[in-house]
Amino acid sequence: MLQLIPPDLRARLRDLRLVARRGGAGDGLGQHASRSRGAGLEFAQYRAYEPGDELRRIDWKLYARSDRYFVREAERDSPLTAWLIVDASASMRQADAARAGYSKLDAAKTLAACVFELALRQGDRFGLAALGGAAPVFVPAGSAARQRDRCLLELARLQAAGGWPDAAALHPLWERIRPPSVVVMLSDFFDEAAAELALRLAAARREVLSVQLLSAEERDFPFAGGHRFLDPESGAERRVEAAAVRRDYLERFAAARAELARRFGAAGILHVEHVLDRPLDEPLRALFGGAGVESKRSA
Amino acid sequence: MSLALLAPLGLAALAALALPLLIHLVRRLELQTTPFAALRWISERVRPQRRLRFERLWLLLLRLVLLAALALLLARPVWNGDAQPARSWGVVAPGVALGDARAAVGAGEAEWHWLAPGFPRTDEAPPSSTVAVASLLRELDAELPSAAKLAVVVPEQLGGLDGERPRLSRAVDWRSVPARAPEAASWSNAAPIRLAVRYAPESADSLRYLRAAVAAWNQREAGRYAFDAQPAEVPLAETTTWLVWLAPPAPALTQWLDRGGTALVAGRADAGGEPLWRDASGRVLARQSSDGAGRTIALAGALTPADLPPLLDADFPDRLRAAFAGAPPAPDRAPAAVAAPRVDERIAASAAQSPANARPLDAWLAWLIAGLFLLERIVAMRIGGPAAEGPRARAAKDAGGTRAQESPT
Repeated sequence: MLQLIPPDLRARLRDLRLVARRGGAGDGLGQHASRSRGAGLEFAQYRAYEPGDELRRIDWKLYARSDRYFVREAERDSPLTAWLIVDASASMRQADAARAGYSKLDAAKTLAACVFELALRQGDRFGLAALGGAAPVFVPAGSAARQRDRCLLELARLQAAGGWPDAAALHPLWERIRPPSVVVMLSDFFDEAAAELALRLAAARREVLSVQLLSAEERDFPFAGGHRFLDPESGAERRVEAAAVRRDYLERFAAARAELARRFGAAGILHVEHVLDRPLDEPLRALFGGAGVESKRSA
Repeated sequence: MSLALLAPLGLAALAALALPLLIHLVRRLELQTTPFAALRWISERVRPQRRLRFERLWLLLLRLVLLAALALLLARPVWNGDAQPARSWGVVAPGVALGDARAAVGAGEAEWHWLAPGFPRTDEAPPSSTVAVASLLRELDAELPSAAKLAVVVPEQLGGLDGERPRLSRAVDWRSVPARAPEAASWSNAAPIRLAVRYAPESADSLRYLRAAVAAWNQREAGRYAFDAQPAEVPLAETTTWLVWLAPPAPALTQWLDRGGTALVAGRADAGGEPLWRDASGRVLARQSSDGAGRTIALAGALTPADLPPLLDADFPDRLRAAFAGAPPAPDRAPAAVAAPRVDERIAASAAQSPANARPLDAWLAWLIAGLFLLERIVAMRIGGPAAEGPRARAAKDAGGTRAQESPT
């Protein structure tokens, strides 16, 4: 099994929570944010005790029987469903020269694995949609460790190739992603269609979180001399004197990013930029950390 | 201890350095291929520029060094002042017996040479005895390395000297030995001279001046000069040495000149040739010219005091004889002790830099060039293999290998 999440990152995931910002998750007794693990809730599973679990959650009767610590986990009242939409078009193949083997898709895979981990820890349902390549890959929503492994397996198989799929190929997406779900989109949003999808999902009552993945070279344009730039997706090329176009590029690119952030903000999409040379928990912390979570935990 | 160039103009061949520079100079469009997803935000207004650069720098450097060495070879470099193993030289003037010479100088580890043109070794036959000793000494002094010692053995009576004592760059071991040198030939040998005069009747008055001149000659060298004055029709005697022709031109005169004789001819105002005698105002009185094998001394007028004022001067006999015989040679003989060479500081200073002390570097340089050429070939061949596809392709491949991620699909 591919180790997608480095140990230090895994350690920093502890205080993150997958939270639906919108209330009214629908079915169940209450809202997702007010879930409780008190008595009377429907039993879900036993799992082995891990250091860090609260002592009061240990099932002492089971300990008396088996001489092992088990933690009793309960089904939540209103579990949320998290969908990961990973852009696997060829532009996600982009990597920095400073770290050649680490592409935007690799970062997206790790981020997705982190979100799976968060969801699994909370007992939430989660699914995966990888768009791009030959055909879109869907892993229907589910929960538990096997679902996570299934998703990780698909992620490991994923290769960045091709372009963004057309609208017809996206139909299953609309069928599977039910309205109250949380959708995390991992893409560079260089494709207008990707941004369109995010906006339409947000407009259709899905809670959309987006992480725009950029390479450091795209952010800084550290080139000099004559360059022939190749678009991995369309194959178009542009021959330019890099130092001369840098300023213009930075302006236009910043403007494009600002415009994207503005549109997403207007649509209620929580939008985060992540550049490959930054730590990976930054976008996670921006999306799933935050004061609201802290206050809910203390409540 | 310095490097000197005997033919500095050879360095002009350094201009050939431009050739490899031009060969290696490529003006090319250098594009690095970079996959870049955010392509659409790059404006295409600034086209890439072509750049000048040298390719295969090591080969270029090798070729430059090779050419520079060749140019240096053309400039004929020499290494100055490196002390060569200085062998002492002994030179023997011709006319001195070798045994005497060795005995005079003493222990003989020296190289022995004749003091003669080319300085042949003494195991060769002795050269002819007439040599310009002073000139040869100067030549030898200039050619020998300054550290070499020089011993010269000369006869006591030394000929072939010139106006001053030889001035050399080094102290010379100057030995004179009693020699059986043959007496050098004097300019005035004792052969009798017959002055023939052929005159027309109207010129008979001139005879007495000539007779007086011959008498004056005979006063110094008694009985050597004979005077033979005859009318122009009388044929010349076989023993005639000099001729004075005081008559209109005749076949006899032409024959005489054709046979290589010397004739003084009067009344030839139109004669060419270089001026021989002038009067006080500079007017040319007599000219001498060579007609075929013979020599003509042409008087502008008649041989009379009116036309030729020097006729009455006391030195006319000497001038006449000099005109016929040529000037006596400068004295070139002196006792050897007087003619010992002096050391001249100036010459010594300049001799220190003379090519005699310089070691030519041609052979070394030629080896160096051969080595460089070999190296250049090796480098050119070795690079030639992988570079056959062109350095541009290689660069592109490198860039592609590092920058592009290959997709296995």
